[in-house]
Amino acid sequence: MKKKSGMNRQRRVEALTGYAFVTPQLIGFVLLVLIPLINVFIYSFHNKNMLYGTNIFTGWGNYEKLLNDKLFWKTLGNTFRFSILLVPLNLVLSFLLSLYLGEQLFGSRYIRTVIFLPVVTSGVAWAIVWKYLLQSGTAGPINYCLSKIGITGPNWLTDKNWAMISVVINRVLKNLGTNVLIFLGAVMNMPRDVIEAARLDGASEWQVIKRVKLPLLMPTVLMVTIVTLIGSMRVFDTIRLMTDGGPEGSTMVLVYYIYHQAFKMFNTGYASAIAVILFLIVLILTIIQWTLRKKVSHYED
Amino acid sequence: MKKILAIVLAAVMVLGMSSFAFAEDTVPMKIAVWTSNESQLELLGSFVQEFAEKKGINIDVTFESIAYADFTTKLLLELQGAEAPDVYWVTETSAPAFIASGNLAVLNDAMAEYDPADFAEGAMSLWKKGDDVYAIPFSTSPFILLYNADLFEQAGVKTPEEYIAEGNWTWETFREVSKQIKDATGVWGYQTVDGAGYTTSVMQNLLPIIRTYGGDAWDAEGNVLIDNDGAIEAVQLFHDMVYVDQSVVPPGDESSFYTGAAAMTLSQISRVSNLDEVTWKWGMCTLPGNNPVIGQAAIGAFSGSKNGELAAELAAYMTNKECVARIAGIWPPARQSVLDSEEFLTSNSRISPEQMKNAVAASIATGRVLPAHELYPQISVEAQMAYDKLWNADADVAAIMHEVGDIYRSYVG
Repeated sequence: MKKKSGMNRQRRVEALTGYAFVTPQLIGFVLLVLIPLINVFIYSFHNKNMLYGTNIFTGWGNYEKLLNDKLFWKTLGNTFRFSILLVPLNLVLSFLLSLYLGEQLFGSRYIRTVIFLPVVTSGVAWAIVWKYLLQSGTAGPINYCLSKIGITGPNWLTDKNWAMISVVINRVLKNLGTNVLIFLGAVMNMPRDVIEAARLDGASEWQVIKRVKLPLLMPTVLMVTIVTLIGSMRVFDTIRLMTDGGPEGSTMVLVYYIYHQAFKMFNTGYASAIAVILFLIVLILTIIQWTLRKKVSHYED
Repeated sequence: MKKILAIVLAAVMVLGMSSFAFAEDTVPMKIAVWTSNESQLELLGSFVQEFAEKKGINIDVTFESIAYADFTTKLLLELQGAEAPDVYWVTETSAPAFIASGNLAVLNDAMAEYDPADFAEGAMSLWKKGDDVYAIPFSTSPFILLYNADLFEQAGVKTPEEYIAEGNWTWETFREVSKQIKDATGVWGYQTVDGAGYTTSVMQNLLPIIRTYGGDAWDAEGNVLIDNDGAIEAVQLFHDMVYVDQSVVPPGDESSFYTGAAAMTLSQISRVSNLDEVTWKWGMCTLPGNNPVIGQAAIGAFSGSKNGELAAELAAYMTNKECVARIAGIWPPARQSVLDSEEFLTSNSRISPEQMKNAVAASIATGRVLPAHELYPQISVEAQMAYDKLWNADADVAAIMHEVGDIYRSYVG
């Protein structure tokens, strides 16, 4: 009897300690995430303008306006184009790099540092330096080098056919390190014996990757895909600094349009409606991730 | 015991009186600005103290420096809260929307004693609605032309001043000069304003040419003039400079005038400090045709201020002749009397009196501000998508300018 109440007490203390630890984070979450998020939903049903101080309930008015807003559809399309270009490129590169680095060959430590360096670099500095490197004609160092081997480089940032590609490559290089690290962790944790067994059975290196390593890494691949996809939906600083949405609006993405509506036009209500759409897209992606995760990850303990 | 009580009572009375006196005579004033330069804030602070002396009151002034990029956003948030500034600066692009929003007090009465007629009509156009003045410009900075005199000499080209003296400083001459310098020296003839003349500063870049050829963005009656024959001819001229002559630093190239990589550029006098370290000789003159864009900033009073009347009077005081004259070297004035004064010509140590007179003052006299519209940010983002199409060698200038015109027409008139 006595023993039991002692245990209860201990459990209570443990629980309290636990709550004490999460409280600061929880307060921050409620104040800085939850309440603003709820407000975004509320604002999205209002004709709220920060400049005029108006705040009139309009029901679905903002959403109806979205349907006829050419710029919204253009930015939505651009956002998807950006993600569709970025995610596979990022995934394939980081996957292959992590396999290579996982072998711990000569120089892999050095390469790992180089790949991770952009991740810890300030995004603003990174974008400004790249804007300089990617200058048109032969003014930019990259095009200058290309011209030395007989290639006429494009106008990376001012040609509408190239601007999006330039921004995507730039983002991939910037964030590759994070995904490589995650993959690397998974690669290092792969059971060596399984791979060893496959090799003893005479599997080629490609077969080992395809039939053993990839299935083992599937849960990680899924997680990284979704995280990268969601991250790509939020791209802003690179675009603001490198192309400012141009040329011809070819790099104007959803977050940029939210910024424009909220902080240039002060249409808080309308900007909130766009933000809600973005939220729903990310929410759907997250749900897909969770469902797929349960289906695909047979190998997870 | 009685003694102690007496002392306490006396203390309470003194305290009470002093706080009473405080409430009576010291007025808190918060002023939002986008400069954080100590000496500029000190100068502005001294204006407030002089105003306080004139009124016979005490003003407890606080300056709030908000970075220019966030200025309007943060200001608006504050105007809705309890910490709203009483007096604040207004950027030119947000002027029409600010006036329409009712956040600015009418300043007619407050400025009546400071000779309002002294402000050039053109300088006030952005800040008035009907006859009511909502803010008073303290800075009227025209876009002027800076040139690298050494490169002109190397190329054996006459200086802009010589062309001006001949009465031959036209956009056609400008085009020729730019090409001659490029051909003779290999250095770019012209760099648009900070290289942003194709994107964010496209209006500052193109409007001076367009206005010289009889076009404009739109006029006061709401007629869009951006795609009339003159405007198209003007844009074609600049387009040819970039793509036929290849004498202008092209889009996506960051070669800069200030590092000697271009012979001429569009600039404002605040940027002249960039030339402190250069080893070459530079000059300053008006643009061909002398139809420059003027960049403005104004000061206004918050309509919701607790000390509204005083705030309005303070805003008006800070733009009186004496104050404007003292800041003229930093922010070129909109007051004709100050522009005409000898002091103005020597107000900026980097610029000679002749340059101040022939380039700066002459540009202010004929220049105009950007077109104004409540929805300017929306118009500019949509128009930019059309303007971007210009920057290809085979662009159909007329068709693209008509497209810009259609976008303008959907908002204006």
